[in-house]
Amino acid sequence: MNALVRAELLKLRTTRMLRWLVLATLLLVVVTIAANVSAADADDPALALHDPALLGQVIGISFGIPQVLMTVLGALAFTQEVRYGSITSTFLVEPRRSRILLAKAVALVLVGVVIAAATLFVTVALGMVLISAKDGNVTIGVQFWQVVVAVVAAMALYGLFGLALGALLRDQIVAVIATLVWLGPAEHLLIDVLPEIGRWTPGGATFGLLQLGPAIATHGTLLGAPVGGLLLLGYTAAVNGLAFSVAPRRDVI
Amino acid sequence: MTAAIELGGLTKSFGSVRAVDDVTAEVRAGRVTAFLGPNGAGKTTTLRMLLGLVAPTAGTATIFGKPYGELADPVRQVGAVLEASGCHPGRTALDHLRILATAARLSRKAPLRVLDETGLADDARRRVGEFSLGMRQRLGLAAAMLGDPAVLVLDEPTNGLDPQGIRWLRGYVRQLADEGRTVLLSSHALSEVEQTADHVLLIAHGRLIRSSTLAALRAEAGAGCRVRTPETERLSALLVAAGYCVCPEDGDLVVEAAAEQVGELAAAQGVVLHRLNPMARLEEAFFHLTEQPEQPSPVDGTSLHRATT
Repeated sequence: MNALVRAELLKLRTTRMLRWLVLATLLLVVVTIAANVSAADADDPALALHDPALLGQVIGISFGIPQVLMTVLGALAFTQEVRYGSITSTFLVEPRRSRILLAKAVALVLVGVVIAAATLFVTVALGMVLISAKDGNVTIGVQFWQVVVAVVAAMALYGLFGLALGALLRDQIVAVIATLVWLGPAEHLLIDVLPEIGRWTPGGATFGLLQLGPAIATHGTLLGAPVGGLLLLGYTAAVNGLAFSVAPRRDVI
Repeated sequence: MTAAIELGGLTKSFGSVRAVDDVTAEVRAGRVTAFLGPNGAGKTTTLRMLLGLVAPTAGTATIFGKPYGELADPVRQVGAVLEASGCHPGRTALDHLRILATAARLSRKAPLRVLDETGLADDARRRVGEFSLGMRQRLGLAAAMLGDPAVLVLDEPTNGLDPQGIRWLRGYVRQLADEGRTVLLSSHALSEVEQTADHVLLIAHGRLIRSSTLAALRAEAGAGCRVRTPETERLSALLVAAGYCVCPEDGDLVVEAAAEQVGELAAAQGVVLHRLNPMARLEEAFFHLTEQPEQPSPVDGTSLHRATT
């Protein structure tokens, strides 16, 4: 299994895609942080400048785009191999296809943790500088560390979610568009318009996990962090269970 | 001699379409066996079933007595180049091979060795997107040879190769068979198979219709020749009188007789010949066999769909 994981990591490292995706994501994260901190105000119930939870909330919000990146990366881990035909060589090297999926999953979790760490480095540093510049509260308390753990876990889970989605859909364009539409407008619209339903979606569960209730102006409607985390874990497990049972049995034509 | 590859009643249906129909055959080591048939005959599906990529509807396909999926270290036992198999165009050839070698726990030197063997050493660090189709075929072969396998399965390996590349491939495949390896390659081109293969598995409409050596197929197809003479009418009359079928074509005569027979007759009658070329009628036989799969055609003295090479 170690060899397969190393091979999967090598696949991710040997194309330009990962580098460009990470770079673009970090740039968008910077824009997100700057926009949110500049919008923070002493009287703003969503992002209160003197709220001890502000830094954690800003970090949580900034991870929206990295989560989309991880889902796309997970989907591409499988669909790109189908698109370019390398899935044949991959399955010839290891005919037990579940092991290939497992190796991809482990590699994506590792990459997710690394990208989460890099993003955290940028977001925490920039967030503290910008909040301090507005005389805001930059307390690093329990809630901050809860958010840090939550974003790392969410990044890993979104990578796994994307992988399962890609293994089930197989078509790269369909998988990427489905990811962008669902994680972009669809979930946000659902959470905004029908919060009682939206909070049970994977995105709603993530907002709960990251304790973003006030920040996205749906205070009181989101699930608590433990329930949100468990729900996101459940979604990921379910879709992966389906992918692991269906994908290895399909003919590779 | 034990067969390296065995197909037993191999069948695959896609919905109502039976792509491969009860194919039984054996492929032995030390020679090049061609899986010959027109496009859509079921060659690729059969090879994919052999390699565990497509699940058979019925029957078995084994390599050294085991299904591909049960082979220990399959890359060290079987190398394959399949149509529609490729690699990411943004990746270098060396990286592509390093990934496969890493997954298969092969030596770090293996990628460079096979790149050298396939004439791609100078292009190792070029991105595959910049490769010609011929270079990609070579890269596919390099990937297949990574584990130094005893069995090679090549699906239409000459597709996209220029004449120089085809010539190189013929020599490479011959060398591999001479080393004692089992080489099974598919092709839709009889002319290519004639110059490469020792043994032929003829497939059409999903059915194996003949397993034979090329020499046996040629003998069965019969002899023919093309002759040019300034005395066309006289020679034609002589040949017809001798019982041969003669057909004028582009100023020549095409005769259903061995070149030796025509030459001897012309010499005996003092007819001047400007040219006398033997003609293989194998192509005709190939078309005849592959266009009429339903016609009973014994295979090595056994049933229609059984073959042993």
